[in-house]
Amino acid sequence: MVKWLGVAGLMFSTLTASPLVLSDPVRINGGEFEPPVLLDKERLSIEINSFMLDATPVTNQLFLDFVKSHPKWQRDNIAALFHDGNYLKHWPQNNAYPDGQADHPVTYVSWFAAREYCAAKGGRLPSLNEWEYASVQYRQQQNISDDDYARNLFAWYSQPKSDEQRVNVNATELSHMYDRVNEWVEDYQLLLTNGDDVDLLSGSCGDGARFLSSFTKANYATFFRYQSRSDYAPQSSTSTMGFRCAYDISSDTIASNGDQL
Amino acid sequence: MNNLLKPAAYVALVLSSALLVLAPTLAQDHSQHKSGHENHANHKNHTSMDAAKISHSSSVYQVDAHWITHKGEHMTLADLQGQPVIVSMIYGSCTTACPVLVNDAKRLYSSLSDEAKKQVKLVMVSFDNSRDTPKALADYVKQYNLNSDSWVFLHGEDQDIRTLATVLGVRYRKRPDGDFDHSNLITVLDKNGVIEHRVEGLGQPMDKAAKVVDTLIQQ
Repeated sequence: MVKWLGVAGLMFSTLTASPLVLSDPVRINGGEFEPPVLLDKERLSIEINSFMLDATPVTNQLFLDFVKSHPKWQRDNIAALFHDGNYLKHWPQNNAYPDGQADHPVTYVSWFAAREYCAAKGGRLPSLNEWEYASVQYRQQQNISDDDYARNLFAWYSQPKSDEQRVNVNATELSHMYDRVNEWVEDYQLLLTNGDDVDLLSGSCGDGARFLSSFTKANYATFFRYQSRSDYAPQSSTSTMGFRCAYDISSDTIASNGDQL
Repeated sequence: MNNLLKPAAYVALVLSSALLVLAPTLAQDHSQHKSGHENHANHKNHTSMDAAKISHSSSVYQVDAHWITHKGEHMTLADLQGQPVIVSMIYGSCTTACPVLVNDAKRLYSSLSDEAKKQVKLVMVSFDNSRDTPKALADYVKQYNLNSDSWVFLHGEDQDIRTLATVLGVRYRKRPDGDFDHSNLITVLDKNGVIEHRVEGLGQPMDKAAKVVDTLIQQ
């Protein structure tokens, strides 16, 4: 619920032309989505409902605000069940991120911590399909060709960097989808079966082509993202994983806010 | 008992196909399995004071979700503290793997010492928030003749089901037809809710798991 203040704030800031705050949510209009990675043999296309998604990955500053108000999730206090020992290990202190990195995406956060942050904001992690659907929209908005998309993604993997993030002050669109962090999603652990009728596949890279709706560079890049993330344990806290949150849209919110967002 | 023979009859049919089906999933779970063991190893390497703290800190009972039992009672997993717990995840309308999984838990229970049988709890958590209402779970308990105080079937919210499954290392996915693909796993928790032993796959031998539970009872 807290986050709805953020949504209201976004509308206000758009009107007054003050800067868009990093990680404020933007609206993703629902529609048909053809998953690039097929998990159901019988289903080539799925319906995605409209939802809100943070414009950028969550920043160090925002995560610091969260842990200050949720001491259970501070580095000194987090339960061993929820991390692998590396939680926020790049922060110099329990309640401080490195100097000058307020707007960097927060990293070294486990899947558990990411979910808890989003829940505290009245949201949740996006589903894998929601994130990928948003990614397709982003590519269209930004005119990113399939080849460029694949190139960008593989370039990031060859040299992952989670630098400072910037957004266009008037932006109402997503940014930093591929150039900062790979992102946790709710159902990030792949389960590559087709019900009881399944070919024996481990989901390793060599299996990729057999799961792809069409064997293009872009789909292979996407599969690579799925796969590299799926290999993590939910406790994994690494320099390359961050997250952004999603929020359900109630019908009255769509009616009143839809056009402006 | 007749009802219980039904799942047993599935075994021959299901095992051949389901074990094959789930092999890749279980293979993927090894990383978590390993990390569970590593945690356990760490916990053993600490001094006794630290060990107590860490064992609590890595307890599954850190998941502070609310559940409703098949008897309609509200509970958190931490309410189970104090005795060993055998936990698994299933869904009620599953006619293939799940009855086998429940039967496996029952086999484990049958292999326990009399003292362990008195104390242990068998907790079956449903993946299926929409269809497995507490009432539906009560029907399931009746159908499979599991109506003793040892068995608890739990209904929860989707987010909490996902949290618990992830903590246990159970992978699952809701299919378009409303059924679930899931890994088959029986987990033994110690009195503090720390994962002590895991049985992966259907129809596995239960001797080792039974020995683990019996040992936990004596601690």
